Amino acid sequence: MADGIGRDYRMPDADQRLLGTLPFVLDRRAAGMVHAKVVRSLQPHATIRGIDASEALAMPGVLAVLTGRQIANDPGIEPYFGAMRVDQPVLAIDKARYAGDPVAIVIAEKPQQAAAAAPFVDVDYEDLPHVVDADDAATPGAPVIHEDWPDNNCGSWRSRLGDCDAALQGADHVFTGVYYSPPASHVPMEPYICLADWTGNELEVWTSTQAPHAVRQGLEKMFSLPEDRVRVRTLNLGGAYGAKGQVKIEPMAACAARAVGRPVRMELSRDEVFLTIGKHAARVELTTGVNRDGRFVARRAKVNYNAGAYAVTSVGASGQGLTRANGPYAIPNIAVDSVATYTNTVPSGPFRGAMTSQLAFAHEQQIDEIADALGTDPVELRRLNLLRDGDVYATGEALHDLHYDELLDDLVDAIGWGTPSEPASPGKVRGKGLAIMLKNTLTPSRSEARLRACPDGTVHVFSSSVEMGQGAHATILQLVSEYLGISIDRLVMGFPDTRHTPFDTTTSSSRTTSSMGEAVRKAAADLMLQLRSLAAKRWQASEDDVEISAGSVRLRRGDEPREQPWEELIEQAEVPDVTGHGVIESDFGLALMDDPHDVKGPVSVHWHQGGAAAEVEVDLETGRLEVLRMHANCFAGKVVNPLRVRQQNQGCVIFGLGPTLFEELDYQDGTLTNPNLSDYMIPSILDVPATITSTAVESDDPGAELHGVGEMALPAVSPAVANALFAATGVRLHELPLTPERILHALEQNGRNQQE
Amino acid sequence: MSPTAFHEPADLADACALLAANPWGAKAISGGTAIVLMLRNGLIAPESFISLARIGGLRGIAVEDGVLRIGAGTTLAEVAASPAIREHAPSVASACELVGNPRVRNVATIGGNLAEADYASDPPATLASVGARCAVTGTAGRRTVEVIDLITGFYETVLEPDELITHVEIPLPAGPRGAVYLKYRTRSSEDRACVGVAARVDFRDGAVGDLDVVVAAVASTLQRVPDPLAAARGRRLEPPVIREVARGYADAIDPMDDARGSAGYRRKMIEVFVRRALEQVAGQQRGSGGGARG
Amino acid sequence: MTDQTAPSGQVDVRLIVNGDAHTVAVDVDETLLDTLRDRFDVTSARGTCGIGLCGACTVLVDSKVVSSCIMLTAQAAGHEITTAESLGGGDGRLARVQEAFVQRGAYQCSFCIPAMALTVHAALADDEAGRSRDSVREYLAGNLCRCGTYPEILEAVTDLVDEAGDRATGSDA
Repeated sequence: MADGIGRDYRMPDADQRLLGTLPFVLDRRAAGMVHAKVVRSLQPHATIRGIDASEALAMPGVLAVLTGRQIANDPGIEPYFGAMRVDQPVLAIDKARYAGDPVAIVIAEKPQQAAAAAPFVDVDYEDLPHVVDADDAATPGAPVIHEDWPDNNCGSWRSRLGDCDAALQGADHVFTGVYYSPPASHVPMEPYICLADWTGNELEVWTSTQAPHAVRQGLEKMFSLPEDRVRVRTLNLGGAYGAKGQVKIEPMAACAARAVGRPVRMELSRDEVFLTIGKHAARVELTTGVNRDGRFVARRAKVNYNAGAYAVTSVGASGQGLTRANGPYAIPNIAVDSVATYTNTVPSGPFRGAMTSQLAFAHEQQIDEIADALGTDPVELRRLNLLRDGDVYATGEALHDLHYDELLDDLVDAIGWGTPSEPASPGKVRGKGLAIMLKNTLTPSRSEARLRACPDGTVHVFSSSVEMGQGAHATILQLVSEYLGISIDRLVMGFPDTRHTPFDTTTSSSRTTSSMGEAVRKAAADLMLQLRSLAAKRWQASEDDVEISAGSVRLRRGDEPREQPWEELIEQAEVPDVTGHGVIESDFGLALMDDPHDVKGPVSVHWHQGGAAAEVEVDLETGRLEVLRMHANCFAGKVVNPLRVRQQNQGCVIFGLGPTLFEELDYQDGTLTNPNLSDYMIPSILDVPATITSTAVESDDPGAELHGVGEMALPAVSPAVANALFAATGVRLHELPLTPERILHALEQNGRNQQE
Repeated sequence: MSPTAFHEPADLADACALLAANPWGAKAISGGTAIVLMLRNGLIAPESFISLARIGGLRGIAVEDGVLRIGAGTTLAEVAASPAIREHAPSVASACELVGNPRVRNVATIGGNLAEADYASDPPATLASVGARCAVTGTAGRRTVEVIDLITGFYETVLEPDELITHVEIPLPAGPRGAVYLKYRTRSSEDRACVGVAARVDFRDGAVGDLDVVVAAVASTLQRVPDPLAAARGRRLEPPVIREVARGYADAIDPMDDARGSAGYRRKMIEVFVRRALEQVAGQQRGSGGGARG
Repeated sequence: MTDQTAPSGQVDVRLIVNGDAHTVAVDVDETLLDTLRDRFDVTSARGTCGIGLCGACTVLVDSKVVSSCIMLTAQAAGHEITTAESLGGGDGRLARVQEAFVQRGAYQCSFCIPAMALTVHAALADDEAGRSRDSVREYLAGNLCRCGTYPEILEAVTDLVDEAGDRATGSDA
């Protein structure tokens, strides 16, 4: 079809995107709305002895001040929420668990009035000992963050394959390293923004979320409302990258609206966005047993993710990390332990390339270290150990549809592996590095779609997939056009609205093209089946004799051949519309396993595969590293839209270079010191190579399934750059970011150019 | 509490009088980029703003009597693009071009930049290195303050609450000059400097006649180290002299410690960038055949 | 022009927004961003970092880019303000720079994109900044895009710089 798979179909609202008229929740207003400002804990860990709001309440425009105690005392509100562990209060109840934890909400007529009054809410804290580092928090005797989980454990997973200990003992060489990724922040340009409005006991919420149905379910549970009494709507998202999955500020806005009986708008300031969610810091201890010929015979991985103060998804996400800790290598003996640990820091959540970047930084550096020690080429060592179709992975399942050979070949070609870099100017050195990754996608999950063919010839697409710049909507339109065989101009698609668009688990984990794509394929098939049966009924023919294609139904047999467009059929049948449904649901995966300490596959409907290669230049006097060029690739199955795949790959490089080079959340005395874009920098156009190339590997199979491509190259970015740094200088850094100071220090310690 | 008035005097004396009338509550505002930030972050809570935008004669660049005179209300973008500045004080032009981003440079003024006394800003060190001084007016009259003496601490100056910088004056070089400003950033291109080095050498008979090196972003005030400068005068600007000055600066300065670099790292970078700055000045000298216009 | 006869804490400001003059009473400390969004239904300028660093709130004041989040509305009195909505003349018409972005697909989430295009427009209007792809790239360094659309933006810039070059040399290729 003209607009189908593989075509360069652009977003239909491109003009609005340039003019600035593209709708965002930021632009929503409601009649009579008032504004809420959050009062946040100044202490990393403290008992709240009392809150005196009298001064704030007396300030101009202030309508109410809401506290955690008040919410806890309201019988109509379940004061805690959480996707996997119900541990997060709407507002801190008697205890604050991180500096930035919401402790009260000021509601006022104007946003400036609410903001002005917030500092006058007097909170009486009694400090408790706090802990920032996840290893410290996992040590017996550490401050207890949640009394219900006294060991601070926030997820614990284990998998065993073969006999790791014995294999390590028998290995010719054993390599061990500890790799640390610090916390980072998603920094979507659009802040969290929510508009909540109660009518009787129905709640309508406009919010910038990746998961409207999850927010609906969370709020229904919180207010003990029957299904669909909460209506969650969203518009375009101004970036998310994982930050806007799950329930976030919606409970605060909903409770505030309930307290004052008016619509409440809550827009977080930039520092508050930093204080809402971050990337898991992680310490990864990796031990690999290698035989003389370079074959990996054993791998032990111990991972500790810093969950922050609340679980969000860490309980399960630490399990997702478990399944990715080995990278795409066939190793017969494996022992992986992956935990998440509560600390008194900003809660951690999925961060584009979730849980995987921290691991790839470890396994992709270590394989280069092993290659260096064995005197082998890093690419050859990877080829020797790559997972190939039918190989058994750490989870005990045999994997298929693997394309690492092609991905690796592509990286080698793109970066000119084996060809020395052009000479650098005096005092500078250059080098090349590469890395690959593997990641399971969210499993189990569910996507549902509806296609409604109308008598006016349009087909309305109902899907809760969220458009956040990745082109989800345009991609879905392309797929519907392909599957129905009609022009994309006839398709109408609105924004997610839980009252009208059916369930979808979330728009994340690079699952939309694949999962929602499958749901619309089924919906299209169902729609065509129904149209065929409608035509058969009207023509009093057998369904087998009715053909359907390109917007028409056709009678294949009989004396007089008949053919008519769908819309004519629908109109003449005098039905309001014909609707096709499609549902795709996986019923296996980590979340459904009996024993998290005995993980056995399968764990994913399919496996994300990708890689990155970098060429860097290092100033030996300052330690400053410049990335000269990068290449990113992914396995796409089939490319739905070439431009958007390229943008996802490039976006992975640019997004990934931030935490590689300079992004890091800094805590001093338990408090985040850099929650602003001056002290926490994200890459500018000058911080990234002027040229970033991209490849999407496709399957030879014409019936290949579609793969998401949103985060395939990302986990490979940091290790590719770190490996290039080593190639250039002989310096190995096991801690991100690769700052000039760290590089210079390492150069002075043991750089190969030290004496030059 | 929110400010209650926005005054726009058309006359300098009126502006000073308004400031004098409420020395702690009135705040002068020029481009306002720094002021609005401080206001939003609750660092200042002025009762009123005294806008300098409509005061005549505070904007523009002129060369007169051997002095380059820049009106305090001239924007950093205008300074950076000015042919006169580029000819007579190119290091100042390039330092102004390195401040923030185009949006800031379009609005922020040279006078406001100096009065803010931001330890990490690029123009003050560069202006100090070329011997610039501020013409200051207050209710008590006029005076001149050397830029190097203007800044006394983090966001603190010698200015009285009712004093305003009206002009920045740069004496024109008498002979061949080389001058550069180097900004070293450790994180994003949009970061403030980890170390900023402004170097200026006036050549006499092919040797160093007079020179200055001023380092920004490493301490609360601009850093000039007299001894190595004195030792360099009269010698040719060649590697041994350059290395001595660089080492002298690194040894003498007690740098600060922050996310842009530890004190130890900054000390090393002071040495590297003072050396590189002077090497570039030497390159300018060679490029112009024995003496640089700079 | 401003007038201090307004009630305490407010000031009457005459603004020319997208070609139309209005006088509005604003708080002394009100930012231009808030005024444009709350009183003029401007949606293209968006508050993000609040410190003039990211560029999402960019508007043109007298044809020059400024951060509307760190400019007081009172400071903008009497000046001409142009937002992305009206860069092409209004009524949904695209300016050439905006067309070039559309042609190259230079947008993802698009939160930063109107400002990005305004900035390219201003750079091209500046003799120095608009001369080459690299100088426009430097000019753009203060506009942050977290999706990483920079490569397509640079493609659009290249097209525009080439067009300007063609115009300058009289070529009509």
